[in-house]
Amino acid sequence: MSLHGVRTIAVLELRQRLRTSRWPVVIGIWFLVIGAVAGLTWWAVSSQPGDPATTLSTDRGTTLYDVVLFFVLGLGMLVVPSLTATSINGDRERGVLATLQTTLLTPADIVIGKLVAAWAISIAFLLAASPFLVWAWIAGGVEVGRMLLAVAVLVFVLAVVCALGLMFSTLTARTISSAVLTYLTVAALTFGTVIAFLISMPILSTQQSVRVKVVPDTWFQQIDPANPDGKNMTGPTAADCVYVTREQSILHTERTWWLLALNPFVVVADAAPSRKPVTYLGFEPLQMISDGARSARMGTTADSLNECWPETQPPPTVGDGTQQLQEQQAQQQQLQKAERDRLNRVPAVWPYGFVFLGLIGAGSTSVAVRRLRTPIRRLPRGTRIA
Amino acid sequence: MDADAGIEVTGVKRTFGSVLAVDHIDLQARPGEVTALVGPNGAGKTTLLLMLATLLTPDDGSIRIAGLDPVAEPRQVRATIGWMPDAFGTWDALTVREVLETVGAAYRMAPGAARTRSAELLELVHLGDLADRPARVLSRGQKQRLGLARALIHHPSVLLLDEPASGLDPRSRIELRDVLRGLAAAGATLLVSSHILTELQEIADRAVIVARGRSVAVQDLSSDSGSGGDTGLESGHRVSHWRITSLDPPRLMAALAHHGVATQPLTDAVDVEVAGDVAASELLAQLVGDGIPITAFAPSYGALETAYLAATEDRQ
Repeated sequence: MSLHGVRTIAVLELRQRLRTSRWPVVIGIWFLVIGAVAGLTWWAVSSQPGDPATTLSTDRGTTLYDVVLFFVLGLGMLVVPSLTATSINGDRERGVLATLQTTLLTPADIVIGKLVAAWAISIAFLLAASPFLVWAWIAGGVEVGRMLLAVAVLVFVLAVVCALGLMFSTLTARTISSAVLTYLTVAALTFGTVIAFLISMPILSTQQSVRVKVVPDTWFQQIDPANPDGKNMTGPTAADCVYVTREQSILHTERTWWLLALNPFVVVADAAPSRKPVTYLGFEPLQMISDGARSARMGTTADSLNECWPETQPPPTVGDGTQQLQEQQAQQQQLQKAERDRLNRVPAVWPYGFVFLGLIGAGSTSVAVRRLRTPIRRLPRGTRIA
Repeated sequence: MDADAGIEVTGVKRTFGSVLAVDHIDLQARPGEVTALVGPNGAGKTTLLLMLATLLTPDDGSIRIAGLDPVAEPRQVRATIGWMPDAFGTWDALTVREVLETVGAAYRMAPGAARTRSAELLELVHLGDLADRPARVLSRGQKQRLGLARALIHHPSVLLLDEPASGLDPRSRIELRDVLRGLAAAGATLLVSSHILTELQEIADRAVIVARGRSVAVQDLSSDSGSGGDTGLESGHRVSHWRITSLDPPRLMAALAHHGVATQPLTDAVDVEVAGDVAASELLAQLVGDGIPITAFAPSYGALETAYLAATEDRQ
């Protein structure tokens, strides 16, 4: 492999793509779709009821960031395989591969050159979406470092998908087969891992007796036997909770969380969550994915067996009620912060997936290089040389 | 690398699964000569050229190109050979000039050198005025000429041309012939596969006839047959064939019989075998001296045709 050879192929590929496909149109549509998603998200978050002073200032930025990055990844997984999945067998079909193989270019030159070209195009798609990430950053709430880490991991994931497509394009003679195989593999990584994880949950669950912190069932009766429904009463507080031991089904996601770590969405999402208190409100897909994966890694713990959830319905109004409302909000924020701290203590999940995807990318590339080696001794069934 | 070695193929065999594509081919192509590879469809010509072009390994036998083994030293062989496949595409979006410059870059030529060489070759194959048009607008014959230019870009000393004349108009064929003769005169080794026998007769010095994956005959085609040299294989011919037409065929036949010349009568002419050009001119002088009304006395291309038909009789 040589820089000169790689550049020759990359320039050739990019030149052809720029001239043949309707590039500006595709990038334009991409820009408009991401723009529409970003605009709608912004509009939805802005029209959310609540106190603008407390919720909106940072939520809008993080939500926008989250949604835009999620869509860029999702759409990228749809677009990027098409950049390489028919690259080599398509060239063979058009009769332009063999004449390159008989030049002084090495198989690695051809494979890496094509990979670099496809990767550059996927980065162009990312750049077209970048104004909306900048918008999210300006809106606030996301650290620039985390944003860059997520984008870097995203770029890496796209490179892996490019390499996968390239490998399949060397493995099958027909372009349609390699395209289908590439999309199936991407689907297996994104949906297959989640499905496998979900199936593993009931299989690995066990019945065991555990200590759970709960509000006693009879709490209202104890406080006021005359009013068992708790009408017009202040709800229980954390201090009222007790530990009980009971038999229940326990999930062992700590044994299968790695299935989620293989998922490209989890890798990107977990690389840079926005790290704000967990509200379970709104739509922040990456944050939710990251939290889900980390909860799974942690499995069932004393913390997650905490069912001591104080009342959240507004208490009866005494005076103008402002003080109680504020107290309750403070209490809730404290809980959300505790939940965030709990999840932040779980070691990150994405490095595992990162390494796994890196191995897939490197493996795919080396298979592709091997498949382009000539002279060929055994010609696989159905393939031609020239 | 031995520049005088040309191409040497000994006992090469290649199968694809259960299909025997090349059974046993022996072939020698010398520098300074054009060697034709002739044979019916499916005889193994293209498979043989793929093996010579460093794309396929032979199952058996050996190949030497300029003294190098294409299996062991593909890179050195690639620097030596120029290959023009029978069917190939071009990068449609690139201009004709860019196609050549890209191939030049693939041969690690410096951009300046590739540019100069491209311009030179575009003139040679008469594509100069199409240089900045996209390659997709080229006609079949023009693409074929571009393919030849591409094979020549790195000054190869061995050329492997698979059906280079297909799709060419008569003028381009004549030009192709001149280009190939010129390359041979400059010392290159040329191996050309083709179906068009009359044309090969003009271009090639020697024809190797292959059928059913085997090299079955070598036919010397050089006009001065006496100096054709040893063909290295069976059935090398040293006689030359001439076709004579007369206003009075019975008298011509009688005269030929009188001079003891081997004849092969045709409907309106007669083919004769004589021992070289000198003998041919002497025969003509004798016939004219006998007062035979001769209207045509020309080299006959029937020899290759006859040899080809004889060698490929059992074709399916």
